[in-house]
Amino acid sequence: MNVVTSGTRAMQEIALSLNGVDKIYAPTAKAPVHAVKALDLDVRKGEIIALLGSSGCGKTSTLRMIAGFESVTRGAISLAGRRIEALAPAKRGVAMAFEGYSLYPPLSVRDNIAFALKSARLSAREADKKVAEVAALVEIEPILDRYPSSISGGQQQRASLARALVRPADLYLLDEPMGQLEPRLRALLRGRLKRLLTERGMTSIFVTHDQTEANALADRVAVMEGGVLQQLANQTELKERPANLYVATFIGEPPMNVFDARAEVGERVRFEVANGPKLDFSANEFSEAARSAIAKRSRVVVGVRPHDVRLNAGSNEARVASNQWLGDQSHIAFEVAGKLMVTVVFSETVAARGATLRYDIPSAKLHVFDAETGKAVSHGSEAA
Amino acid sequence: MAQIELRSLAKSYKTGKVLDGLSLSVDEGEIVCVFGPSGAGKTVLLRLIAGVEELDAGSIFLEGRDVTEAPPETRGVGIAFQNFALFPHMSAFDNIGSALTARGASKATIKAKVEKVASLLKISHVLGHAPRELSNGQKQRTALARALAADPKIVLLDDPLRNVDAKLRYEMRLELPSLLRASGATVLYVTQDYKEAMAIGDRIAVLLDGRFEQIAKPSAIYRDPTSMGVARLFGDPTINLIPIRPRAGDGGTLCEIGGATVALGASHAAAAGRAVLLGLRPEALQVTDAAGADGFPVEVIAVTPLNEKTVLLMRTPEGQEIFASEAGVENEARRPGPAFAHFDPARALAFDEASGTRIGGGA
Repeated sequence: MNVVTSGTRAMQEIALSLNGVDKIYAPTAKAPVHAVKALDLDVRKGEIIALLGSSGCGKTSTLRMIAGFESVTRGAISLAGRRIEALAPAKRGVAMAFEGYSLYPPLSVRDNIAFALKSARLSAREADKKVAEVAALVEIEPILDRYPSSISGGQQQRASLARALVRPADLYLLDEPMGQLEPRLRALLRGRLKRLLTERGMTSIFVTHDQTEANALADRVAVMEGGVLQQLANQTELKERPANLYVATFIGEPPMNVFDARAEVGERVRFEVANGPKLDFSANEFSEAARSAIAKRSRVVVGVRPHDVRLNAGSNEARVASNQWLGDQSHIAFEVAGKLMVTVVFSETVAARGATLRYDIPSAKLHVFDAETGKAVSHGSEAA
Repeated sequence: MAQIELRSLAKSYKTGKVLDGLSLSVDEGEIVCVFGPSGAGKTVLLRLIAGVEELDAGSIFLEGRDVTEAPPETRGVGIAFQNFALFPHMSAFDNIGSALTARGASKATIKAKVEKVASLLKISHVLGHAPRELSNGQKQRTALARALAADPKIVLLDDPLRNVDAKLRYEMRLELPSLLRASGATVLYVTQDYKEAMAIGDRIAVLLDGRFEQIAKPSAIYRDPTSMGVARLFGDPTINLIPIRPRAGDGGTLCEIGGATVALGASHAAAAGRAVLLGLRPEALQVTDAAGADGFPVEVIAVTPLNEKTVLLMRTPEGQEIFASEAGVENEARRPGPAFAHFDPARALAFDEASGTRIGGGA
């Protein structure tokens, strides 16, 4: 079998390193904007990293500092063993597809892409072949001989992506690479791009606000909020061991169900949720470290992912508020603790609106967070 | 009794026909989602029903009354648009009460009605705010409250969740059907998000090229689309369409995919001898390492997680890219490389290649 996976690639070598990077806009003004705060980030050679967050979280500022479009207020950036934060963009060994880093208007799309290959000193035939390959990948073959001003925004975006991907570089920076595409092409591009990047070991960072995109493409996802890196982990880790309540409720579609609770640790571990589920477990379902971490807090937030709520099991009961079948999965919402608790089942599940169903939240799938700081306390039986 | 009845509506602009022979009947208290790609004419349809746009042909009955020639203010419909369209100089309270005020309702009535609908939509605490002080979610709820405040029998909603963030959109998707049902109104709901249409509609009317291509319950449309055009609009990733030429063989209809012979079962008999596109939803494809019976060879190109599913991008020996999706993310054993795809013929749909009409499979 032709095995091409992140696990088998030699990725221990660090390609890009950000150390204590800050970005402050208008530092001398009355209200400076601290867009990126003390960011440490190591990207391994051949790794694909997604910078994920809502608008204003600092992800784009981070990408622009790495590219050299934005100065670094404090801190250091190293790429392939050399410091780059003071270098001009063109000297950094970085290929990029950015909004605002537009195609050259006087050149056709084909020449725009071929121009990026110039420094590679390829024969004309080899260069043509590479342009054709990357054009096929992003589906712009029919517009290769047109000029940037005569193609749509979505086509310009793909042409600019092709121009970035075609050339050799130490790092590929992609800003919302699949912004304006129709769904089928977006799903196709996700798969093709992942294949290309992993097969050729292209170290890449892309910015997105879409977690579906981030999870589909990236080896690890950097979740940012308020200029701070909240967590950097692969998607399994983000789902199973979110560092805090922000990550827990941001990652996952639909988001994690969370409830305010009072914790009590003794022979049993209990979480009391007002008008909510009975969460009463034997102490040995939690490790000693988890028990002592939970015992330190009286007020906590408990959470369970929609896919982890078990239906027709356990002793909790709730009324079905809605049951929505989306063709390949049912989203069932229950009235629990004064709000809606959502469960997802990958089958057309019979649960009529108004009916009362039993459900269970197993301790292995329970997440506990500190109510004040939002920091994770435990995941399943283990301390966070 | 039908509360909304559209009979052969037609509308053209200088640029061409927008709507062509639309008929639809919506029962009292029913929510029908008008779903289709952008430019299909969804908004034009709502404007015709509201009376702010004139018909070329056809007639419109609301609550059993022919309103084809009636001015908009007499039609008694509540409307909310995707851009909210709140009056900027008025508080949320006054915005919500505006239809009642225009109708000359008493102050006490207005107060009672506004407060009732605001509490239903959880915006009681922002009634004194001006629109600019409201979040997008609150604006959207205010616009919705305004549409519902005067207890209209008929409510028209034009993509009301379009401009709110993903999280709120999901919450509203869960809550809207019960809110609308509680209001007792008959609802026409326009959207271009298939998940929203399936989640909110009692029925979906698929608008394609100015016609209702299919009107049915969500599950029926997904499983049993009448045409390729409808089938392609539902699903994530969307349906795979593989060109085949089925033939009658021993024990049923057969076809060739990637050099392998695949049995299509009895429900595809009518497709034999024709040029067909075989519609296979990603979740209907199973991928295995061994050939087994009725498998066809594929090359797995990439494995990409999608929420709690795993999506495989694969290439057939003919060079076509197709998707398979598997529930769960545990399947990390799946790697790029050669494999075999299988499907249950009962879940395959056959479409006539030329017309797009369904000629096999489904219910």
